[in-house]
Amino acid sequence: MEGRVFDAQVVLSPKDSPLGKVLNEYVCVRVVRMDDVDVGLFDRDWNNAIYFFVLNGDERIYMRYGGRESKSPDTYNSLDSLRIALEQGLVLHKQYLQGHLPATPRPASLFPREMPLLVERTFAKRQCVECHLIGDFQNIQRERDGVLDKLAQLYRSPDIGKIGISLDVPKGLVVKDATGSAAAAGMKAGDRISAWNAVPVFTFGDVQYRYDKVDRKAKSINITVDRSGQPVDLSVNLPPRWWWTDLRFRQSSVDPRLDFEDRPLTADEKQKLGLKPDSFASRVKYIAELAKIRKTHDLLLDDVIVAVNGVERDEFANTAELYLKLHTSAGESANLEVIRDGKRIAMLLKTHVLSFRK
Amino acid sequence: MMRIIALAALLVPAVFAQEQSIDWLSDYRQALAVAKAAKKPIFLEFRCEA
Repeated sequence: MEGRVFDAQVVLSPKDSPLGKVLNEYVCVRVVRMDDVDVGLFDRDWNNAIYFFVLNGDERIYMRYGGRESKSPDTYNSLDSLRIALEQGLVLHKQYLQGHLPATPRPASLFPREMPLLVERTFAKRQCVECHLIGDFQNIQRERDGVLDKLAQLYRSPDIGKIGISLDVPKGLVVKDATGSAAAAGMKAGDRISAWNAVPVFTFGDVQYRYDKVDRKAKSINITVDRSGQPVDLSVNLPPRWWWTDLRFRQSSVDPRLDFEDRPLTADEKQKLGLKPDSFASRVKYIAELAKIRKTHDLLLDDVIVAVNGVERDEFANTAELYLKLHTSAGESANLEVIRDGKRIAMLLKTHVLSFRK
Repeated sequence: MMRIIALAALLVPAVFAQEQSIDWLSDYRQALAVAKAAKKPIFLEFRCEA
């Protein structure tokens, strides 16, 4: 079970431990069923099996703690950074009680029992409303209603590593190393991130939540860092597909299952094959064992997919796989144009639907 | 007899640890009320145990 060790470390923190001493200043509550939770107020990436909020009795949220990267649920969890966050939470609470904290609008409420698919699939069957089901059914409903924004709602929680930010995790938002876009903008090791697009942030959970809210067409973001006690504003350019994350840990996502993976062709490879430099032509590098049983496709390793439904270029996709994920719904078919052994062939791909959605 | 001793050896530290650890509520509404009365902030954990 994801997050089991961290959960136990937090819940069983001795009262006289560094974390326990701070937790003594809080009313601690642990909720394991989402049935009656206001998921509008506590909006987050629902593919986190463990997640924390710091708030007050008026339901004013001070900060989030949690979040993950695709390859591991535990990368950003640390008892030390949690203690730092909770100490900051006490400062914010004091400011709130003194009337010094600026008001923020309360998010619109939404309860699981107001979500038709959850009522039909879980409440009616007396099953537990698991966290991920909230996100999954929100997206299925959006897809049914034709309003699913795949860039933002499928590819959630962008990875700060893609813009070159590596955190010194036990120290919270202190930058361990800055490379790429972050370094080019002037970020340095030792900086402490304090605001993301002008919104104050106190934890990695805050950063990831705010990053997730950035328009996927944005070309840059503003990050404020604290450097030797002084705020420094940085404009960080966003690289292509900064929002992309590996969806494999989102076990019941709405993405169409393709039973293959690919990689973009290099500029040289495209030139040799007479393909346009901006095409999403890609080489097949993995085929799922079940592809033949499911009759998803007849692709072979090293096939080059040059077009999907006659389309060769896309504003966002750099591979055929990504194009299919963005532009088809699970269960739909697509016509592929493939180069195999120097010859162009056409084939049908029928995307796979997860059984729980049928 | 040996099994009982072994079980006790396992359980006693766990019980002791629980006595020394933080008190956690399980009712969110109750936490709101307690926090308001005590003027304390709330630390809320959502844990999906499935």
